[in-house]
Amino acid sequence: MSRFFVSIILSTLFISSVAVAGSDPIAKRQQLMEDTRDAAKAIGGMLKEQRPFDADVAMAALETWKKTATEAGELFPEGSETGHDTEAKSTIWSDRDGFNEKMANFNTQVDAAIAANPDSLETLNAAAGPVFKACKACHDGYRVEKED
Amino acid sequence: MKRLAISLGLVAFVVVLLMVMTRPTRLSPDVLPVHTPDVSNGARLFHAGGCASCHRSTEKDAETPVLGGGLEMNTPFGTFRVPNISPDPDYGIGNWSTLDFVNAMHNGVSPDGRHYYPAFPYTSYIRMSFEDLVDLKTYLDTLPGAENRNEEHDLGFPWNVRAGIGAWKLLNLDPAAVVSVPSDNDLLIRGRYLVEGPGHCGECHTPRNWIGGPDNSRWLAGAPNPDGEGRVPNITPHEKGLADWPHSDIEYYLESGLTPDFDTVGGSMVDVQENMSRLPAEDRAAIAAYLKAVPPSF
Repeated sequence: MSRFFVSIILSTLFISSVAVAGSDPIAKRQQLMEDTRDAAKAIGGMLKEQRPFDADVAMAALETWKKTATEAGELFPEGSETGHDTEAKSTIWSDRDGFNEKMANFNTQVDAAIAANPDSLETLNAAAGPVFKACKACHDGYRVEKED
Repeated sequence: MKRLAISLGLVAFVVVLLMVMTRPTRLSPDVLPVHTPDVSNGARLFHAGGCASCHRSTEKDAETPVLGGGLEMNTPFGTFRVPNISPDPDYGIGNWSTLDFVNAMHNGVSPDGRHYYPAFPYTSYIRMSFEDLVDLKTYLDTLPGAENRNEEHDLGFPWNVRAGIGAWKLLNLDPAAVVSVPSDNDLLIRGRYLVEGPGHCGECHTPRNWIGGPDNSRWLAGAPNPDGEGRVPNITPHEKGLADWPHSDIEYYLESGLTPDFDTVGGSMVDVQENMSRLPAEDRAAIAAYLKAVPPSF
C-alpha cells in the first residue's frame, strides 16, 4: 500500500519536474540567469584575482552568456508575469521595445567580447566590462530588487 | 466670557507661534566662508551626490550632463517634477547667488522664500560643508544651460500646502551626524560625511517613520522601495545586511557594480553605483569603512 503511494508521489514529482523544466518559461529563465551568474563568477573571479586567468574558462563563460543572449528574450511571454517568486518587473510587458533593446545590446556586447578572444586579464577586462554594463542596464529598469 | 477670551487668545498665540516657527528661514550672508572655489572638488561632490541621476535631461552616458530636469517621480503624495538646475539664467539656477544655493541645499528654501519638498534630499545635504557647497555650485556653473521649463508638482491635499513642510522640517531637519565615529579616524569621518551628507544614502536605505522622516534607530537598515515594487536592502553590518561583505567587496561593488556573488547591481542603485565609480578609490574605501562601522540593525 505504502509503495503504491510512494510511486504516485514519485510519478507526480517526476511529471511536475518535467513540466517545470519543459514548458514553464519562468523556471527556464531563472535557470538561465543562474547559469549567466555562474559564468559571471568565473570571469569576475579572474578580474578580481580570486582565481588565475584561464582563456578557455573565460571563453566557455562567454559562450554561456551568448546562450543567454540568444534565448532569454523569448522567455518572458504574456502570462508569465507572476509566479515562482519571479523578479521580472512589470515594465518588461509594458515597455517591451525598451526591454528588447536592452537584450539586443547585451547580445551585441557578448558578440564583441567573443570576437575579442581575450587571452590575458587585461583583454578580458576590456571585453567583459561592456557586457557587465549591459547586464546592469537591463537590471536597472526591468528587474525587481528583492532581498535574497 | 473671560475664559473664552483666554482660550481664543491661547489658540491665536499657538497659531502665530506655529506660523513663525514653520516659516522658511534663510541664512545670513555671514555664514559663507572666504573660500577659493575648487571646481574639481565640485565635480567630485557632484558624483558623490548623484545630482545627474535625478536632474539630467540627457542620456546618462552623455559626456557632459545637461541638468534640465523634467523627470517625474510618482509617489503616494502625488507627482513631483524634478526642476531645471542648469546654469541657464531664465530657466535654471544661473541667476542664483551662492547664498541662494546654500539656502536651498541646507535649509530647503528657494530664493523667493518658499519651502522645497523633501523629495529634494536637503535633510542629508544640510550635513555638507559650506566650502563644498561653494565648490559644487562652481562646478554646476560650468555645465551647459538648458532652456526648458518644467511643470509644477502635482500633489493632492494636504501635501500641496507648503506650510506643512515647515512643521515637517522642525521635526526632521537636523545637521547633526547620525553615527558617532572616533574623532581621530579620518577614514571613518570621510566615509560618514559622504554617506550621511552628499551621498544621501539614508534617504532610501533608512526606513521612514509615520510622518515620513528617517527612523534613525534603524539607520541604513533597509526600507520599502520608493519606486514601488521590491525593497531597498539593509546596508548595515547586520547578518541581513553587509555582515558577509568584507570592506574590499563593498569597494569592488561600488566600483564595478558586482556583488560578492557576481550578481549585478539593479534598480535605481545602478545609477548610484555608476556615479560612485567616478569617485577616487579613497572615497569608496571611506564609504566601505563607514558602512562596516554603522550599528548593525534590521
